[in-house]
Amino acid sequence: MSEKIPAARCPRCGRVVAPPTRFCPDHPVALEPASIDGYGEVVSFTTLHSPPEGFRSPLHIALVALDDGARLFCHGAGTRGIRVGSRVAVEAVDAVYYFSHLGLVERARLFWRRAGARGETVTSIAKSAAKRLWRGGRGAGA
Amino acid sequence: MPDVWIAGAGMTRFGKREENLPDLVAEAARAALAAARLEAPDLVVVAAMNPEEFIGEGNFASQIATHLGFAHVPALRVETATSSGAAAVYTAFAVVAAGLSRSVLVVGGEKMTHLPTPRVSEIIGRSIDRDERAYGATMPALAGLITRVLLAKTGVTLKEISQVSVKNHAHGALNPYAHFQEPVTLAAVMESRIVADPLRLYHCCPISDGAAALVLSADRTPVRIAGIGHGTDTLAVRYRDSLVSFRATQDAARAAYRMAGFGPERVEVAEVHDAFSPFELIALEDLGLVPAGKAGAATLRGETALEGRLPVNPSGGLKARGHPLAATGIAQIVELVWQLLGQAHGRQVAARVGLAHSIGGLATNNWVTLLERVS
Ligand SMILES: [Zn+2]
Repeated sequence: MSEKIPAARCPRCGRVVAPPTRFCPDHPVALEPASIDGYGEVVSFTTLHSPPEGFRSPLHIALVALDDGARLFCHGAGTRGIRVGSRVAVEAVDAVYYFSHLGLVERARLFWRRAGARGETVTSIAKSAAKRLWRGGRGAGA
Repeated sequence: MPDVWIAGAGMTRFGKREENLPDLVAEAARAALAAARLEAPDLVVVAAMNPEEFIGEGNFASQIATHLGFAHVPALRVETATSSGAAAVYTAFAVVAAGLSRSVLVVGGEKMTHLPTPRVSEIIGRSIDRDERAYGATMPALAGLITRVLLAKTGVTLKEISQVSVKNHAHGALNPYAHFQEPVTLAAVMESRIVADPLRLYHCCPISDGAAALVLSADRTPVRIAGIGHGTDTLAVRYRDSLVSFRATQDAARAAYRMAGFGPERVEVAEVHDAFSPFELIALEDLGLVPAGKAGAATLRGETALEGRLPVNPSGGLKARGHPLAATGIAQIVELVWQLLGQAHGRQVAARVGLAHSIGGLATNNWVTLLERVS
């Protein structure tokens, strides 16, 4: 399944913001609700070793530019293999956005979803393919 | 528009201070008034970013006016986060230029070191967009994100960023008002603890106490405010297309140069807002002082050192002079006044025109001020 991110679009300049706000930051114009795909590119990321109160250390933060235009702050389980420009998926867990590297599974899922195939079937096929790779010891470092 | 002149400048030593904020503010104010040979101004403009949170005080302009013996003098407070001092100078400039007052005392300060560091970070962090704070975004975290993009996209190196800290510490070592008066080595900067990967501790300015003050006047003095400009950007960093330049700086610079009637080519000394060392490199290019893409190399070559082509942060900058928030934008101009008048003992440069650049929040509310010595 592809995560849909609630957003808002400016009818005057086309800017998409997430989370949704009432007005465009550049125009005193009411925004229209939008729903955008949770796929995008890492703009930047950092790791805090002494995060603010209420956050676990180390805290991985990424700024992700979603394909539909909005940029989002996300948390992540780690930054191994992540670079500026990496393709990532963004998903909400308990109303908090998390990024994860788009690996083999997600890339296959995204390809087939866009090709119109049934996502769930493809996911299970891709998952078992990924598991075989792992067992063969060739999955690491991908 | 009538000219606005600087009649007096003064500041406290920055660093860990035992005095309370009103006493620090009074020390700076009395120094500036003494330099201006003025007993009482027509107006007091006070800059303080978070006195409510840091010291539990409100109605701060009236408190300061009364504390200075100016209960009869109109007083007001100005706040634009970390550029509050520069915003107060702008306010005073506008009042004098409009003919509403002939002399204005501008004074700003902050008292922070008595609180634990996480508490200070949290208070300063309230100037960040709420939805970004919810992800743990602090000022160092946002600076870490910016540094990562700089390294990945512009060719700036960690060594060039670190050299900014080395240079500014070397300058601070010559400034008796500086928080840090010891040099640091490049190795020490590059090996210091990681704060927000790839940003390290010695790339970040300290938490400081202190105050700075100016007297602005309608009467001619040797130093004129030639131009002053204000630029803004979105509170949310995620709303910006670029992280490697600050629109707020570019707009402020454009406005200041337009008012002055000259461009960056006449600037001979600059005080820029190096709250994080990479910000100095971004500022030099946004201000047009160094061609795009060249700030890192220019810094490594020593062009921005005290003896270089364009001395930048002769005071030590925020990194070494320290950063008592609302004092900083005023202290930058104090340093420039001393430099232009030949009073920057031990770190004097040769200059007729100086530029001060102040960042509010994460570059949401920036100011550029141009000073000119008129003989
Ligand atoms: Zn708009």
